[in-house]
This record gives sequence, C-alpha cells and structure tokens, in this order.
Amino acid sequence: MRVVDRIKGSVAYRSIFRLPDAVTERDRAAAHWSSFLLHLYPVKVRRRELRFGYSAFLGVASMVLFGSLIISGIYLMFFYVPSPANAYGNIQSIQTDVAFGQYIRNVHRWSAHLMVIAVAAHMAKVFYRGAYKPPKEFNWVIGVVLLVLTLLMSFTGYLLPWDQLAFWAVTVGTSMASYVPLMGETTKEILLGGPSVGSATLVRFYVLHVAVLPAIMVFLIALHMWRWRKDAMLTVDAAERSIAAEPVIEEVS
Amino acid sequence: MDDKEPVVIDNHRVLGVVPGKPAVGDRKVLSEDDTVMVWPHLLVRHAVAALLVLLLVMVISLLFDAPLREIANPTNTPNPEKAPWYFAALQELLAHFHPLVAGVLVPGAIIGGLIALPYIDRNLSLSPETRRVARVTFTVFLVVWIGLTLVGFAFRGPNWSWVWPWNEWHGEL
Amino acid sequence: MSEMDRRSFLGRAWKLAAGAIAAAGAWTSWDLLKPRLPAGFGARIKTVSPDAVPDNTVIEVPQARAYLTKIEGEVVALSEVCSHLGCRVPFCDSSGQFECPCHGSIFNRAGDFLAGPAPRGMDKYAVEVVDGVIEINTEEFITGAPPGTETIIEPPKGPACTESSHA
Repeated sequence: MRVVDRIKGSVAYRSIFRLPDAVTERDRAAAHWSSFLLHLYPVKVRRRELRFGYSAFLGVASMVLFGSLIISGIYLMFFYVPSPANAYGNIQSIQTDVAFGQYIRNVHRWSAHLMVIAVAAHMAKVFYRGAYKPPKEFNWVIGVVLLVLTLLMSFTGYLLPWDQLAFWAVTVGTSMASYVPLMGETTKEILLGGPSVGSATLVRFYVLHVAVLPAIMVFLIALHMWRWRKDAMLTVDAAERSIAAEPVIEEVS
Repeated sequence: MDDKEPVVIDNHRVLGVVPGKPAVGDRKVLSEDDTVMVWPHLLVRHAVAALLVLLLVMVISLLFDAPLREIANPTNTPNPEKAPWYFAALQELLAHFHPLVAGVLVPGAIIGGLIALPYIDRNLSLSPETRRVARVTFTVFLVVWIGLTLVGFAFRGPNWSWVWPWNEWHGEL
Repeated sequence: MSEMDRRSFLGRAWKLAAGAIAAAGAWTSWDLLKPRLPAGFGARIKTVSPDAVPDNTVIEVPQARAYLTKIEGEVVALSEVCSHLGCRVPFCDSSGQFECPCHGSIFNRAGDFLAGPAPRGMDKYAVEVVDGVIEINTEEFITGAPPGTETIIEPPKGPACTESSHA
C-alpha cells in the first residue's frame, strides 16, 4: 500500500486526477465535477434507485453490450474487407485462421442480439416506471431513436458476412423501403447503391455500420446520460411535485 | 456498581450503565426518497451489473458459435427466407398485408407512437392505478408484438407455412 | 438605415446563409449517394430460338434473372425477382405455378397473381426475335399486371411444392 500511496501523491498522478482523496462526501462530490467519466453520473440518487427492481440495470447492460460490440467490432475490422469477393472468405478465415477469431465473432454476434433485447427491455421498464413523464419527455424520445439506431446497427451488420442469410434478409428488408410513398424507389437505390444488393450495397452498409451509425449513437448516448443526470434528483412522482409547487396559503384565523 | 469487582468487557472497565436514550441521538430510519452518494452506492452496483453482463456474453460466446451459411447466391433464395429475429414480427405482417401497410405504415406508426407517447400521455401521476389505460395499451402492444415475433421466428417454415418448432426448426439467429 | 435595421438584417442574413449551406450539403449528399443506374442487368441478353421455349413449363435465363415461356404462342420473359419483396421466385414443376418461398405468393405460368401478399403479378421484360434468337431486353421493364388479371386459366397441375398457408 505504501507504493500506491506514493504514486497517488506524485505530481504526475495529481496532474491527471485532480481530485482530493475520497474521504468525505464532499471529496466524492468534487470527483464528479472534475472527472470526465464520473460527470456523466449524478452526485446523489434516491435510495429507491439502488434497488434491482427499480431499473433491473438494463440501461447499464445496454451500455456494457455497446462497449463490448465496439471492442469486438474493432478486432473484426482488422481482418475484414467489405467486398463480395473477400467478405465471405474473410469471415471464414477469422473463424479458422485467426487466434480467438471465432470467439471474437461470437462475442460480436451475441452481444448484438443481447443489446437489442436489453435496449427494448430498458424501454419497457422505463415505460412501466413512468419515467418518460415531464420533464423527461425528450429523453424518452432520444431513447426511442437509440432503439431504432440499435436495430439499424444490427441490420447493417447482418449483411457483412455476405452469406445467404445476410443477402436475402437485406434484399427483403430494403425492398420494403421501395413501398414508401413518392420517394420509395430512390430511397431503396440510395440504400443499395444499385438496382439490387451488390458490392456497392456491401460498402454502404459497412460504412454505416462502422462509422456513421456508431458516431450518431455515441453522441446520443452521451446526451441521453447527461439528461438522465440532470433529472436524477427530481421528486419521483411528477404529480406530487406539481402539488408541491403550488403556493401554500395558510389561512389565518 | 461495586468498585471492588470491576466488570471488564474487551479489556475495558465498565464504569456505569445509564438508563434513557443514547447520548448521540436517534438512529434515523431511511426512506426510499432519501438520497445517497452515487459513489460508491450506485457505482458499485453498476460495476457488478456490468461484470455479470460481460460474464453472460463470455459464456454464451464460448458455448455457441455464430452462424455462417453458404456464400450469398443471388440466383437462389433459401426456403424459408428468414429475417433477423427482431424483424420477424414485421415479416409475419408482410405475409398478410400489403407491403405499404406492413412494411411502411405499421413500423412508422410504432416509432411515431413511441416518440409521441410522452406528449399524448399527460397524466403526471406515477401510481399504477391511475395509469391503467396507458399500461393496458402498452402491454397489449407488447404482447402482440412478442407473439408475432415468436410466430415469425419459430413457427414459420418453407413457403412461410405454419410449422411446429419441435417438429421442424427454422429459426435463424 | 437605422442601427436596429442593420442588426436584424445581419441576424437574418447569417441564418439564411446557414440554411443555404445546409441545403447545399443535403443536395450534395443526396446526389453523391444516388447511384447512376444503367437500366437492367446489361441491356440485351441473347437466349435461345423461339422453338426451344416450351408452352407448358418455363426455362430459366440466369444472366437476365428471368424465365421464358410461351403464352398462346407468344414468347414471354418473366422477371424471377418477386414483385413483393425481391426474393427469387422458383417455378414449381409439380403444380405448374410460381411459388415464392419468402412470403408464399403464388403466380400462374403467365405470371398472373393468384394468391399471397404480392401487390401485383410478376414483372416482365420486352422480348424480340433477332436472327432467329430471342433477345431479352432488360432495359425495357414492364411492371406486372394488377391482381385479377387472367391471361391464361391454368388450375394447378398437381400438388404444390410445399404446403402453403395461402394455398
């Protein structure tokens, strides 16, 4: 422990973590304001929020799965070229030639499925708790957009192995877009980059999957958490809060 | 108390016992709405939850391999052709309704409805009794959607005909 | 011009400029991403002589992703891409009909809509006989006939290839 204390007292350590030792509550609150990661959290929450039954920690689960997807996805990117000539062979060699390749691909695939479940369950839990009520309406909207983005991430990733499952699911999925009134055919062509699923589609879905959609998601997740922190200390029942906000006029007899 | 025979507890001599309340004050009974510090109370729970989720992913990934079918072949549609499971409900609807309805209007209405929910339901109360309409509506939607997903995922076989999953399995993950 | 006028003019001007740049960005990305399509799979595809096209079943032309058959003596080219959601529609020899594996749409040999969720019959391509060989013109795409059209009346010859919920 002596060494740890030395490191913690060093000039370098103090320049990175500019917080006091967490001895008192005040020190720990200070950490929330001076730490980038901690500042996404509120300083205090109500005790009910600690219970499993309150949130089932589904938001945390979604975040962890998103992190696991980013890390496993980056590993996969080292071995994958998005072209019809290479894609399928790349996946095969990831599974057979790359050390732990099959395991990393499994982590990516199963995390994706679990994340769809976790995000949907998170939404249901928030609904039944009534946590979309004023003033949290807009954070609910961000959550719905994040659910749609999760599905789009999953769907764009589905094409990348370029197997039969991928090809036909995306053929059917993008054909649905062609029924959008007025601009359906154009929407479909922009998605596919051609008249049917082909090499242009694979590149487009790849770019959406590894760059465009994750960037939007990271931004929206940050916004989602920031707004959650801002509202964390509100009275739990909005109806009670509005009653409490009414001016109380005491009758003088 | 007798001074000649000192009572000793844990190497400490007991000088006297005083009747009445403790000197420091009453122990507070905490309510659900009292606040606690996020660090460490919430953070440690989140850390445990995160570790459990990671453990689950690791175990599943060690036990089951991600599927990889034959290479894509534009001249041969597999039969049945299955969408990923989270679109199975939509695929089931597509087999019954015009694509404009099942492929555009229904998903559009679901997303639009979810986004509009907090602006439609202006009831501020959180107690389940006063939220009956909202809860029933949402539950019915959830049950129908999960049911359709199950049917599309597990109960549909070649040419989108009905199969029993314990007889033939056609679900794809 | 008074002080206030200049202020509100500048206030409007930068908002307008921002809007114009956003519109230009949207237009650029739209045009950039919209593919320039050559129609069809590469224009004309030479196939077989008209005599080789059967009038009781179909033959497949994979390069054109189409089928050829004879309806009342006329050669017809049917696109094998389902008019519903783009699956390949195989021809079922035992029933003499097209049966889509994706959502169970059924078409007769002439591509007329019979059952299922497809919004119209099978799409067609124009055909032409040049030097005794049928050429499928994939640039000339003919949208399938609406449901109810009956070019030919051919009841199923036999059992469907797979039991369908829409049969």
